[in-house]
Amino acid sequence: MIHLKNVWKEYQLDKEIIFSSLKAINLKIEKGEFSSIIGPSGSGKSTLMHVIGLLDKPSKGEILIEGKDISKLDDDQISTLRNEFVGFVFQQFNLIPKLTILENILIPTVYARKKLNYDPKEKAMELINNFGLAGKEKSYPNKISGGQQQRVAIARALIMNPRLILADEPTGNLDTKTGEDILKLLHNLHEKKGITVLLVTHDPKIADKTERKIKIVDGEIV
Amino acid sequence: MKYIIFLLKSALEDFSHNKGRTILTSLGILIGVLSVVLVIAFGLGLRKYVENQFESLGANLIFVMPGNKKTILQGGGMMGGIKFDEKDVNNIKRVSNISYLAPVFVKTGAMIEAEGKSEVVEVVASNEEIIGVMNLELEEGRLIEKKDIQKGQKIILLHLSMAEKLFISSDLALGNNVVIDKQNYKVIGILKSKGGGGLGGGDMDAHVYIPFKASYSFNPEKKYYGLYFKADSKENVFIVKDTVQKILEKRYDKDDFSVMEQSELMDTVSSIFNIINTVLIAIAAISLVVGGVGIMNIMYVTVTERIKEIGIRRALGARKKDILYQFITESVTLSLLGGLMGLGLAEIIVLLIQSLFPAYINLSSVLLALGVSSAIGIIFGVFPAKKAADLSPIDAIRYE
Repeated sequence: MIHLKNVWKEYQLDKEIIFSSLKAINLKIEKGEFSSIIGPSGSGKSTLMHVIGLLDKPSKGEILIEGKDISKLDDDQISTLRNEFVGFVFQQFNLIPKLTILENILIPTVYARKKLNYDPKEKAMELINNFGLAGKEKSYPNKISGGQQQRVAIARALIMNPRLILADEPTGNLDTKTGEDILKLLHNLHEKKGITVLLVTHDPKIADKTERKIKIVDGEIV
Repeated sequence: MKYIIFLLKSALEDFSHNKGRTILTSLGILIGVLSVVLVIAFGLGLRKYVENQFESLGANLIFVMPGNKKTILQGGGMMGGIKFDEKDVNNIKRVSNISYLAPVFVKTGAMIEAEGKSEVVEVVASNEEIIGVMNLELEEGRLIEKKDIQKGQKIILLHLSMAEKLFISSDLALGNNVVIDKQNYKVIGILKSKGGGGLGGGDMDAHVYIPFKASYSFNPEKKYYGLYFKADSKENVFIVKDTVQKILEKRYDKDDFSVMEQSELMDTVSSIFNIINTVLIAIAAISLVVGGVGIMNIMYVTVTERIKEIGIRRALGARKKDILYQFITESVTLSLLGGLMGLGLAEIIVLLIQSLFPAYINLSSVLLALGVSSAIGIIFGVFPAKKAADLSPIDAIRYE
């Protein structure tokens, strides 16, 4: 499904110094996987996730999504892929504070270029109910708990029926119990809906629960 | 459609979160639109006022004078040149669509004396139809009638202000005599003041009216200096003018006389007003630009405040142009809001002063106000919006 070939991400720190956040990454993510990218902070795992999620562009190398070379796509087409193909879940939840829970979940549908074969609002309400958020649809993000916010973020990631969920430290801002609930939720999505999930974490205990661990140290897969 | 609703909704949502800022920013546009619309409204009112003044001299007025248009406008033509006679009057009488016809002899710079005082006046010797031609209205006494004309009575009509200058009050003037060119004329009527129009025709109140035959002492040729008449409607002015021109050309060389209408004079005045008005609008428009800069400033602040939101939206699939449209919609809405409020306030001011001055707001100034405020929203919003759209998604989402 996703194929990274010799991907580098470099930053010019000074005139002479170039810092490589990703070094010659070769990686294949297959459809239906439940994998984790694990590494200490600063190892480049977040950068890797951003590159896979098309939020960031590699300095060198090729990214193939379903066989298509991403470097040949323009910004609009990449935006469309972000909209339809990927669903993001962030450590910071990244909900828009001035929008209600329901409005937050509906954001991706506003930018949808393809005709949706379902009613976005109905689907959002279904997700709200399934995720134990019933009655909260008109609340604002700052009025609900962290765990609830993360569930809203997952609902938002799912509203477009993506093939891939990218979760960057999804439990990082949550207590252990709530974190476990969120992981369970992701597990369910993978098992029941067959969604490919890629999880970024620094916590080996969390990585142990996934089917495949991709370990990254100093920008290299080990 | 759904997308436009989304854009508007998100703009309004942002305003409701920053009410004070929104009001202050649109205040700039409000003041700009208010001043431009008011200047236009006053300009329109002024023009209407002047048109009314002209109409008080007699709407649809046409006059035939000796000399060509150029010499008439230079004040010549009154001396020498051709003079008209009864035959011309009878020829013109046959033209249809003429409501009043007054052949006149005018003595300019004549001295009028009474009670030991004297004033300079313009003596208009004509028939009873001069009343209708010049839209004269009676204040006191009576007007000159047909029988007075036939008898050539030595009677005279004065405007109220002239009567007051000579006799202190109009009551004392009525029935008394005035002296022009050593001849006595009895004051039979006082006319309402026209006010010092001063535009082209001189002070209308310095005109005095006598029957034509009563002018023979200073008009030995017994001829007419000019022919004043009125078309029965605005639409017929042109055709009447044209017909009279053709009739007179049969007797006279076309350079020896001119057929002119009020509106020709009015056009000259209007074009001057247009220039003044344009200059004033341009000055008022400066405040619109200042308002636009205010919007631009606030839009930059808004973009900076919402970098994270922009990043989130980009991560969820918003294209560059979606972000661009979102912020342009916001600046246009902001500007339009100011424009609408400015327009509303201008309307209120115009309604309040309506009784004092005939200012008014027409459809084109409404469209102009709305068009200009939208344009300002776009022009001054596009740079901040572009800045927002060009942010890298990953830098934006990481921004704290």
